[in-house]
Amino acid sequence: MPDRSSSYPASPRRVVVTGMGIACALGIEETVVWQNLMAGKSGIGHLRAFDTASYKIHIGAEVPEGLIKGKLKELRRRPIDRALDLAVVVAWDALTQARLIARKPPWSEQDVAVLYGTGVGSAQSHFNAFSTFFEKGPRSLRPTTVPRCMYNAISAGVSMQFKLTGSNYVVVSACNSAANAMGTAFRMIRDGYAEKVLCGGSDGFFDPFFFGVWNNIGVLSPIEDPAKACRPFAEDRRGTVLGEGAGALVMETLQGATARGADIRGEILGYGESSDASHITRPSVEGQAKAIRMALDDAGLQPGEIALINAHGTATHSNDATESKSVRTALGSAADRIPVMANKSYFGHALGASGILETITTLLALERGMAPPNLNLENPDLACNLNLIGNKPTSIDRGPAMKNSFGFGGANGVLIVGPTT
Amino acid sequence: MSEKPKADLIVEKLREIMETSATEELDWSNYGPQSTIESLGLDSLTILDLLYDVEQELGVHLEAKDIVSVGNIGEMASLLIDRGA
Repeated sequence: MPDRSSSYPASPRRVVVTGMGIACALGIEETVVWQNLMAGKSGIGHLRAFDTASYKIHIGAEVPEGLIKGKLKELRRRPIDRALDLAVVVAWDALTQARLIARKPPWSEQDVAVLYGTGVGSAQSHFNAFSTFFEKGPRSLRPTTVPRCMYNAISAGVSMQFKLTGSNYVVVSACNSAANAMGTAFRMIRDGYAEKVLCGGSDGFFDPFFFGVWNNIGVLSPIEDPAKACRPFAEDRRGTVLGEGAGALVMETLQGATARGADIRGEILGYGESSDASHITRPSVEGQAKAIRMALDDAGLQPGEIALINAHGTATHSNDATESKSVRTALGSAADRIPVMANKSYFGHALGASGILETITTLLALERGMAPPNLNLENPDLACNLNLIGNKPTSIDRGPAMKNSFGFGGANGVLIVGPTT
Repeated sequence: MSEKPKADLIVEKLREIMETSATEELDWSNYGPQSTIESLGLDSLTILDLLYDVEQELGVHLEAKDIVSVGNIGEMASLLIDRGA
């Protein structure tokens, strides 16, 4: 076990989760999300956001219609940009659950930092601005295009809505964004730079342009049946499915949470990050394995102590095969018995928000000692030599879990989370 | 049946525009020609968007100083009519 005392002479502060908020195709309440996961019910469907008749792909995982608008109305907000709207709603739930704010305003200023990850940022605002520009020219651009389109509109909007006066910024590293945001938040608190951080990720990309570019990069599943389209680690996997979503965690010190009597939902134990430095889209075993090892070392854990892995599991041929090898390389024979789940067959790939959605499902699994089934895994790929959970919920040992996130650009982030102790 | 005066129609149209351009729900309970911009709770950025949407919808270009010079929504409607709305 590594000696952490030299790195953290002032005795490292334990970091816990005291609030969670989630919005994905399975719902916007964690209990509903969990019920749907355990029931093996996919939220992927035919896209409603716009007409996809001229596109190659026609499916995606959308947050059920009307839910976000309803929440925004309660906050007396109007929809501004999908990523911001989703981010605000999950922040409200996380902050309320952590009892940092009352459900209804007025709210007072408090020293909480806001860190969100996002893959494509204010995509909807960008699309609207581009459309106006090409239709009517530069003089017709809306005056508030800058504050709407800037990527940190997401964290700024959350900070202003709930009067959070710690730092506010957005991390952008493709599908690894939320993992980077959570890892940074964890380090900020552990190392004494912040007491409380609201962190997570948000991505809303179901507009004609961003959905179009993702159609054409060749990673989306062409399978027409929505429930069968996303097949992580299956031999017959054909690609991923996009799914909008957002999630947020309130992280704070164990000492602070205990002192104020907050409910503790789990603990952040370690974090590792690395860069493949090899190919812009093709993942590398070395880069991913490095991040996994770093996270374990950071947590002071041996591979055999991990009770659950929530894989990045995009269901593309290359990603799942590479991730399997990376986990094997980093964990060795311990990988024989650690159950592996992959959630994207339920709520799609939320790009920069995928890491937070799946960290929340991991924490829910640890709380309950159960992991949901993996969908569409009738024929596991033998090249993906992992202990993949089958089509039934599985009980898991009490212990820490590993959440992998890997993004285009070779960005890797691995978080180790533990149950409440 | 007499048609509504043009000023009243513009006042209604302004509400419609503001409902679209505002980023938060505004208080319309006492909305009318006598309402001031301040009483509706529009911030400076939202006012910029309001001017933009007025130009898009009514074809009249207003400057921020025009908003400052008018006392209330009724006066704004008159100004818009004077400018050709």
